Amino acid sequence: MAVILENERIANGIFRMRVTGALPGRAGQFYMLHIPDSLDPFLGRPISIFEYDTASGETSFVYHTPGRGTAMLSAMQPGQTLDVQGPYGNGFPLADGPAVVIGGGIGIAPLYQLVKELRSKGSGRSIDAFLGFKEESYLTEEFERFANGVTVNIGGFVTQDADFSLPATYYACGPAPMMRAAAQAARDARAKLYVSLEKHMACGVGACLGCTCKTSGGNKRVCKDGPVFFYEEVFDAI
Amino acid sequence: MPSDALKINLLGVELNNPVIAASGTFGFGHEYAELFDVRRLGGISGKGLTLHGSAGNGGMRVYETPSGMLNSIGLENPGVKKFVETEAPYMRSLGPAVICNLGGHSEEEYLEGASLLNDADVDFLELNISCPNVKAGGMAFGTDPLTAADITKKVKAVSRHPLIVKLSPNAPDVVAVARACEDAGADALSLVNTFLGMAIDVNQKRAVFDNVYAGLSGPAILPIALRMVHQACNAVKIPVIGMGGIATAEDALRFIMAGASAVSVGCMTFAKPTAMLDIIDDLEAYCEKEQLSNVLDVRGII
Repeated sequence: MAVILENERIANGIFRMRVTGALPGRAGQFYMLHIPDSLDPFLGRPISIFEYDTASGETSFVYHTPGRGTAMLSAMQPGQTLDVQGPYGNGFPLADGPAVVIGGGIGIAPLYQLVKELRSKGSGRSIDAFLGFKEESYLTEEFERFANGVTVNIGGFVTQDADFSLPATYYACGPAPMMRAAAQAARDARAKLYVSLEKHMACGVGACLGCTCKTSGGNKRVCKDGPVFFYEEVFDAI
Repeated sequence: MPSDALKINLLGVELNNPVIAASGTFGFGHEYAELFDVRRLGGISGKGLTLHGSAGNGGMRVYETPSGMLNSIGLENPGVKKFVETEAPYMRSLGPAVICNLGGHSEEEYLEGASLLNDADVDFLELNISCPNVKAGGMAFGTDPLTAADITKKVKAVSRHPLIVKLSPNAPDVVAVARACEDAGADALSLVNTFLGMAIDVNQKRAVFDNVYAGLSGPAILPIALRMVHQACNAVKIPVIGMGGIATAEDALRFIMAGASAVSVGCMTFAKPTAMLDIIDDLEAYCEKEQLSNVLDVRGII
């Protein structure tokens, strides 16, 4: 159980929730967030870690509200308790050297903790962030704290802003068309790209097989074997 | 300290308690063994197997509904051989009673699978004639009493394990199927599997699932499942494992009072991984409060 400290709307349909009492987690991992003892909504919602603050022990989640369950999460108030199960999933591998992160819409959520961890692991490295949004941008100033350059694209194709020919490690999270474009660009430029996938999940721990994805190595579970994959492994699935 | 109030004997096998993880909701135990002490469970029914294994269904596989969920996993599984070699020994090492769940697409598949499973160290074979998510099979065997009896009789003849037949609530007459399976030699029954349901995405203007129909489970189905278990228990003499939407110890007691000799918890584990431990603790507390020497003292009182 965690206690909600803050649950604020930061853009149209986008919320940021800060809680205390959650377990720590790495960039790219997620928690199942569930209204305590609720049978309706019945299942938790897999929400990636936006930020884990080691000093305060507070965890932040940034999420959108495409359905009723997340809309109900967004209506929860500071002081209320939240059922948090996790952290689940493999998380992003932290490579050495230059890094480029590419996020689209709510897909930017797991990338903030990533740039933070990449920066703390390599203070001198270059980190570039390309953040794409449909209508309005959000949280871009947060990325500026740890990235050398932040390029914001509203209404266009964020993957076209990034140069995939650099000797860098690329990380991407976003809607399916963006992920397909990133994977194609990485293949064309022979870039090293990690993608974080999203699928409907029931359990979040690898038991229900609800989020299975076809990979070059057979079926894998997005929740347990992912959500982060090397792009070639899931090229045909995204 | 746990007392003996929850200990039960199912077909000659001692179980710590009557709470069994339902097939398809617990894998072969690996994932939840990382999260909680699965040794405390009464039993674990493994993911439904098919002879040659399966990659399962494409498209959307899970979809939440009010107080429940629809699934269309399609029996993704590693196949009987892999189970015998690696999963059965692992499940045995966990401690709780081991139930092996076997589905199939044809009589030959069921019989070959059941024969190969004679090499597995499991306590029970659960014959799945009720999966709604595989085409031309699974549930097709479980909706008609004559077909259900025929496959039960043939599997019973080749298997060395005590045979539990898992029934479909989608049969026009579940009680007739229950009786037919008992007459055909089933040692126990388990019910219910999921109810055939459907979901439509109005924005995409199409069915949510590639198979159109999918299996509904969760607390939403409990009253119907409870009624069916009650009817089945009144119709047969063999033990019945009751399930369908169990979320709490009270729910488990409802099935026991309706006549079930054990209960299975399914997708509630998805919502709350430790739900079964809470159920076991609360069943224990109920026995103490009601001064029951055994939880099954209230079995079938309704």
